[in-house]
Amino acid sequence: MVGHKHKFLKNIGLLILVLLIVLFSIFPFIQMLSTSLKYSWDWGNPSLIPTEVNWSAYSEILGIGEQAEIDIPDSVKKLLDETPNLNDEQRSAIIDKYSDNSDVFPFFKYFWNSIRFSLTASLCSLIIAIFGAYSIARMKYRGQKLIQRGVLFVYMVGGILLLIPLYKISSAIGLSATQGGTTLSLVIIYMVQTLPVCLYMLGNSFRSIPFSIEEAAFIEGYSRFQTIVKIIIPISFSAIATVWVYSFMIAWNEYLFASVFLKSFSQMHTLPIALKALFVSKNAIWDRISAASLLTAIPVVILFMLIQNFLSGNKAEGGVKE
Amino acid sequence: MSNTKLTLEEKDARLGLKLVLPSVTIIALLIIYPIFYNIYLSFFDVKLNGDAFFIGIKNYTNVLSDITFWKAVGTTFFYVIATTALTTIMGLIVALVMNKNFPARTIVRSLVLLPYVAPVISTVYSWQFFFDPVNGIFMHLMVDVFHLADNRFNLIADPKYAIWVAIIFSMWKAFPFTYLMILSRLQSIDQTLYEAVEIDGGGGIRKFISITLPELYFVMGSIVLLRFIWNFNKFEEVYLLTDNVKVLSVYTYFKAFTGSMDLGQGSALVVIQFSLLVVLIILYVKKVLKW
Repeated sequence: MVGHKHKFLKNIGLLILVLLIVLFSIFPFIQMLSTSLKYSWDWGNPSLIPTEVNWSAYSEILGIGEQAEIDIPDSVKKLLDETPNLNDEQRSAIIDKYSDNSDVFPFFKYFWNSIRFSLTASLCSLIIAIFGAYSIARMKYRGQKLIQRGVLFVYMVGGILLLIPLYKISSAIGLSATQGGTTLSLVIIYMVQTLPVCLYMLGNSFRSIPFSIEEAAFIEGYSRFQTIVKIIIPISFSAIATVWVYSFMIAWNEYLFASVFLKSFSQMHTLPIALKALFVSKNAIWDRISAASLLTAIPVVILFMLIQNFLSGNKAEGGVKE
Repeated sequence: MSNTKLTLEEKDARLGLKLVLPSVTIIALLIIYPIFYNIYLSFFDVKLNGDAFFIGIKNYTNVLSDITFWKAVGTTFFYVIATTALTTIMGLIVALVMNKNFPARTIVRSLVLLPYVAPVISTVYSWQFFFDPVNGIFMHLMVDVFHLADNRFNLIADPKYAIWVAIIFSMWKAFPFTYLMILSRLQSIDQTLYEAVEIDGGGGIRKFISITLPELYFVMGSIVLLRFIWNFNKFEEVYLLTDNVKVLSVYTYFKAFTGSMDLGQGSALVVIQFSLLVVLIILYVKKVLKW
C-alpha cells in the first residue's frame, strides 16, 4: 500500500518535471505567437492570451490587404515632372527611395532571398559531400587519412575566424563590388560553411553500411560509381536528407557573413539581417518582429519534423542479412 | 594476375582521389588558405581602400596592451565555461527524464527539440521581449508579483546581467543536442547491470552513481569538449541577443567591421583566438578521439 503511494508520488513528480522541461523549451515560441497577435496597448499585459486578437502584423508582413501608400513629397513630385531628362531608371530609383516606406517589411523578398541562398549552397555542398564522404569513408589511397583528419579539424573552425580573410579576398578579386559577385561569394562561403559538416556526418553514415551490400553490387558487375549512385545513395537516403536539412539550416540561420557582405546590397538581404535591421530601425514593433520571427522559423521547423519521421525508418536493415 | 589486381587498386585509388578532389579544393581554397592569409594580414596595417603596410608585430602589441581585449578574453572564458556546464547538466537531467515512460512521450520529444531547431534570429527577440523593461514578463514577475526589485530596469542593457541572459539563452538553444547524445548512450546501457545492483540491494542513487555515470563518462567528455570549442567561436547567439556581452568573436567583429574598421588588428585578434582554439582541438583529439 505504501509502495503504491510512493510510486504514485514519483509519477506525479516525473510528470511535473516533464511539464517544466516542455514549458522551458516552448515558452519563447508561445510568447512569440501571443505577442504577434496582440495590439500594442496589450503588450504589457503579462497574460499570454491577447485581450483582443490583432492580425495586422501578419497582414502587413505578408502584404495581405491594402497596399501601403506611396508617399512622395510634393516637392519631389514637382521635381520629377519638371525634369524630363531623367531616364526611367533614375526616376524609379527616386520613387523607390520614397516608396521604400520603412513601415513596410517586404517579408517575401527576404524570404525568397534566404531560400535561394540556402537551397543553392546546401544542394551544391550536399552533392560534393556525397562523393567526397564516400571516397573518404570507403576508398583507400595515399592521403586519405590526412583528409579525414583535416575535415574534422575544419569542422571546428568557426565563421568569425574566416570572416576577415574571406572578405579581403573577395574584395581583392573584385567580387564584392557587384551584386552578382557578392551573391556568388556568399553562396560559395555558405557551401564552405556546410561542407565539413556534410562530409563528417555522411562519412559516419557511409561507414555504417555493411560491406556485403557493396560486394554484392560489385559481383553484379556494378562499377564503383554505379554502386554509389544506385546503391549507396538510395540506402542512405534518410541520412542524406538529414544532412541536407542541417546544411540548409546553417545557411538559413547565417547572419555574420551576410551582414558584412550584403551591407550595401539591400536587394539581396536575407531574413536574419532583415529582421535585425527591422528591430534596430524603430521602436514599438514587437508584434511585427514576433510575427516575422515565427514565419522565419517555420520552414526549418517543418523540415526538421519531416526528417524526424525519416529517422525512424532505417532502410539499411532490409538490404542485408548477416 | 597480381599485376591486374594492382592496376585495379590503382584505378580505384585514382577514382577515390577524383571523388574527394572537389571537397578538398574548396576546403583548401576557402578555409586553409584564408587561415594563412589571415596570419599574413595580421602583420599589416590594412587600410580601407585595400592598401596594406607592413608593421611587424604592432597589431599584436596593440591588441595585447588593450585592457578591453583582456576583458573580452575573461568574458569569453566565463561565457564558455558557464554555458558548457549548464548545458551539460540540463542535457543530462532531460535525458534521464526522457528515458522514463510517460504519456505523450513522442510529442514531448519533438517539442523539446524546438529550441535547437529554430533559427537564432527568430528566437532572440522573444527572449528580449521576455526581459523588456516595459512589457516583459520577467520584470512583471520581479517587480509586481514577487517584489524582488523596486523598479523595472533594462536587464539586457546592463553587461553585468546581460551575460547571464546570454548564458541561459545558449543553454536553452543547445541542451536538446546534448540531451539527444546522452539519451542515445543511456538507451544502450546493458540493463542487467542495473539488475545486478538491485540484487545487491542498491537503490536508485546507487544505480545512478555506480552504473549510469561511469557508462556516460565518454559521451559526456566529448560533449563537454565539443560544446567548449563551439561556444568559444559563438558569434550570432551572443551578438544578436545583446551587444553588451563582448566575447572575443563579438569584440573582433566590432574592431574589424565597425567604426574605423581596423582589419589588421582584427586579423591579429583572430590569430590569437585561432591559436587558443587549436589548443582546445588538440585536447579534444588527444582525449576523446585518440586518432
